[in-house]
Amino acid sequence: MKLFIKFDINTICSLYLKQNLEENNISFSTLGFGEIDIENNLDAEALEELKNKLAPCGFEIVENQKSVLVQKIKDAITELVFMDDSNNYKSSVFLAEKLNHSYGYLSNVFSEVTYSSIENFIILQKIERAKQLIIINEMSLTEIAFLLNYSSVAHLSTQFKNTTGITPSAFQRIIKKRRENLK
Amino acid sequence: MKWIPNFNSSNSLRVIFVIAVFILLFLSSIAYKHNQDLNESSKLVMHTYEINIQLERLMSAIKDAETGQRGYIITRNARFLTPYIYSRDKVNTSFITLKKLTADNPEQQKNLEKLFKLINQRFVSFENCLKYSDPKTYDKRKLDNHMFGGRILMENIRFKVDEMNDIEKAYLKKRLKIYDAEISLSPLFSISLFLVALSFILLAYRQISRDFERLKIYNKKLLISSGLIAESETIGKFSTWQWDLDTHKIDYSDNQYRLLGFEPGSFVPEKGTFLNFVHQDDKQTVAESMDGIIEKGTLPFVYYKIVRPDHEIRYFKSTGKLLTDQQGSKILLGINFDITDEHLLNIELQERNKELEKSNKELASFNHVASHDLQEPLRKIQTFISRVSDADKAVMSESGKNYITKIEASAKRMRVLIDDLLLFSRTNTTKKEFIKVNLNELLSNAESELGEVIEEKKAVITASKLPKLSVIPYQIEQLFINLIGNSLKYSRPDVAPEVTISSEKVNAADYPEILEQTVKKFHKITFTDNGMGFDPQFKETIFILFQRLHSKTDYPGTGIGLAICKKIVENHKGHITADSTLDQGSVFTVFLPD
Amino acid sequence: MQKNALNILLADDDEDDRLFFKDAFEEIKIQTNVNFVHDGMQLMDHLLNPDNKLPDILFLDLNMPKKTGKECLIEIKKTEHLKNIIIAIYSTSSSEEDIEDTFIQGANIYIKKPSDFNTLKKIINEVVTVNWHYHTSGLNRDNFLLRLK
Repeated sequence: MKLFIKFDINTICSLYLKQNLEENNISFSTLGFGEIDIENNLDAEALEELKNKLAPCGFEIVENQKSVLVQKIKDAITELVFMDDSNNYKSSVFLAEKLNHSYGYLSNVFSEVTYSSIENFIILQKIERAKQLIIINEMSLTEIAFLLNYSSVAHLSTQFKNTTGITPSAFQRIIKKRRENLK
Repeated sequence: MKWIPNFNSSNSLRVIFVIAVFILLFLSSIAYKHNQDLNESSKLVMHTYEINIQLERLMSAIKDAETGQRGYIITRNARFLTPYIYSRDKVNTSFITLKKLTADNPEQQKNLEKLFKLINQRFVSFENCLKYSDPKTYDKRKLDNHMFGGRILMENIRFKVDEMNDIEKAYLKKRLKIYDAEISLSPLFSISLFLVALSFILLAYRQISRDFERLKIYNKKLLISSGLIAESETIGKFSTWQWDLDTHKIDYSDNQYRLLGFEPGSFVPEKGTFLNFVHQDDKQTVAESMDGIIEKGTLPFVYYKIVRPDHEIRYFKSTGKLLTDQQGSKILLGINFDITDEHLLNIELQERNKELEKSNKELASFNHVASHDLQEPLRKIQTFISRVSDADKAVMSESGKNYITKIEASAKRMRVLIDDLLLFSRTNTTKKEFIKVNLNELLSNAESELGEVIEEKKAVITASKLPKLSVIPYQIEQLFINLIGNSLKYSRPDVAPEVTISSEKVNAADYPEILEQTVKKFHKITFTDNGMGFDPQFKETIFILFQRLHSKTDYPGTGIGLAICKKIVENHKGHITADSTLDQGSVFTVFLPD
Repeated sequence: MQKNALNILLADDDEDDRLFFKDAFEEIKIQTNVNFVHDGMQLMDHLLNPDNKLPDILFLDLNMPKKTGKECLIEIKKTEHLKNIIIAIYSTSSSEEDIEDTFIQGANIYIKKPSDFNTLKKIINEVVTVNWHYHTSGLNRDNFLLRLK
């Protein structure tokens, strides 16, 4: 038997975080993706304990301020790309408003830390969303192209191919065969 | 096809015949009876007549006696007494005959007895007359009495005789009347019966002659078809045999004997005969399959060898079927094919196939060598050259730098050659998995592959709606890349290249010279460009491997690209053509089966 | 910071390729720890030895002696604690069959060995960056397919 499970990683993460923090008796409030506000300052020992506790699941406490900002940018981009009405926003405006920094500054910090551009990351995220939609197989490429604000299927296909090196149909075929292979 | 004609008439014919025979039997029995009756009546007449005569004789004997007696009485001459003396014997003889004649009639017997008594009384009266007329014992009164009594007796006798005669006559009359009635009834009846029987027989005759005609026709047909079968068996190198499972009679067709190396009919086949011809190696298989045919009713093809008397080995293929005919008897029908020629051809083909496979394998391993081993050192050369940094070049002599550049260019060219060659050989060797895809999708893949060149040359590519076809996707993609790439490469200087791609469905019958006619519909996809074109006399040669129309310094290339296109289209059982007007553009047309 | 450096492992029997690879990694900005194995057997020994830290990205040549890259790939994907390693096929072959086949077997990246050092650097940089995005941005690794020429 095989099941295809659709899940929301953000919900899982916040649930997991909540459970662990409560276990360590830390009261907190969630500010957004990957950012939490802890009421009382933790000492080094407690911080280390929390770090170790979260580590097995791939959680990492980001220490550097710029890294924190980059993480915020990424979260904002993810949010934007996965929004259903993302077509209504211009990404630079959206990011600047959301993070209260000029787009130029954000762009610089991002490149400095990740060695790649915000634009590239947006494309990467959009293609990622496209991949998910292709795999779920509920929408045609035309519909996906429209949802992700591409001017045409050809445009989506081209960007897909440029980003991943393979065409959307080859991607779909490979994933399908890979799942069959795993059975 | 129904081979055996249905002669339904045979049953009704039988009925008609039986009826006719019965009628005839009946008629003859009637005739016989008539004959009998006739015989009977003539006998009866004779009988009556005889009785009549005997009675007359009896009377005349008595009269003779009377007359003699009277003569004697009158003359006393003894000679007159002679009739009297004999009359007694005559009377007795007649009487015995009469008794015999009337044995079957009790009434007449009674009458006869009475008559006998009367006659006896008459003779007693004769005696008395004689006695009383004798002169010695003469008594006139007594003589008169007796003479008178004699007369009365005589009257009675005559009366009795007449009575008897009347009875016989009445009997005869009665019997004749009955016979007459019988005979008078029959003629009309027998004639009508005879006519019925005649018509039945005529009907039967008509039916028979009609069936006979049909039989003649079927017979002729059968003769022709059996002749044809025998002929086709000879031509087709096959034979048939039948084995009646009930009577165990086995029939070989003429050609069966020939296939086994004998003259037709030169031996009588029996149950085990055929197995004797089968080669030692195959005996068991054939025997098993014969048993199998009886069990299952059919026989899948069995292949084996037979040995002819002259030790020649022939290869046979056989099949059979268990048939049940109209009478319910089971017949095993077998067909043997002599496939020696095919077999030998097959062996040759197999050998050739093996050779081909071997050379294909060699080609594949060559492909591998080209793809991996040959590329490896080339890639190293190129990578090492790329590692010669600008700093290194700064300390080199001019000619050294020049050589490096030349090595780089040559290596690059070799790279292109190897890549193209690989591409070409791969269109042959890699597995050909046909998938139904939208050609527009493959076209857009091709366009994105050529994105850089398209942008650089500011080319405009317009395509109409292309069909959805079952193809080898990456090969068709490659075809599009090569064709569009070709147009872009040979564009006119200072003119932005334009490539128009359109598609339409066409009938294969409209292109009898170039298209496979077994496929009805083809998709005709045309690639029209506004490039420099080529001299139309080269429209065939440009598809040949390594054929180039331009010098490699003007237009670097390997002369493989269009050959790959041709190969790909051929892989899809299609066709590709090219046409062009120099300095105006070219048209490449691809036909792909629907 | 050495602790945060990306752990790279290259399995390739060609000495020159290992050299190009090492040089290329040294010249990109991202901090990395590059290790080498010479064949498939050695690769599996290395991966199955608990003393060795598992690589973040494994670059795998397909044509190797003793055990081919494809065999290693299948074996790794069958081993529970190894199957999450990001695998980049690093091969001379550009055959569509090889590419699709290795992707289906679970490879994430397919790189055709370039014939130019700068291209190599560019490719490696891209692999590392994309991988890092996948690593840090909660992207679904199951969908991580990348083909580079």
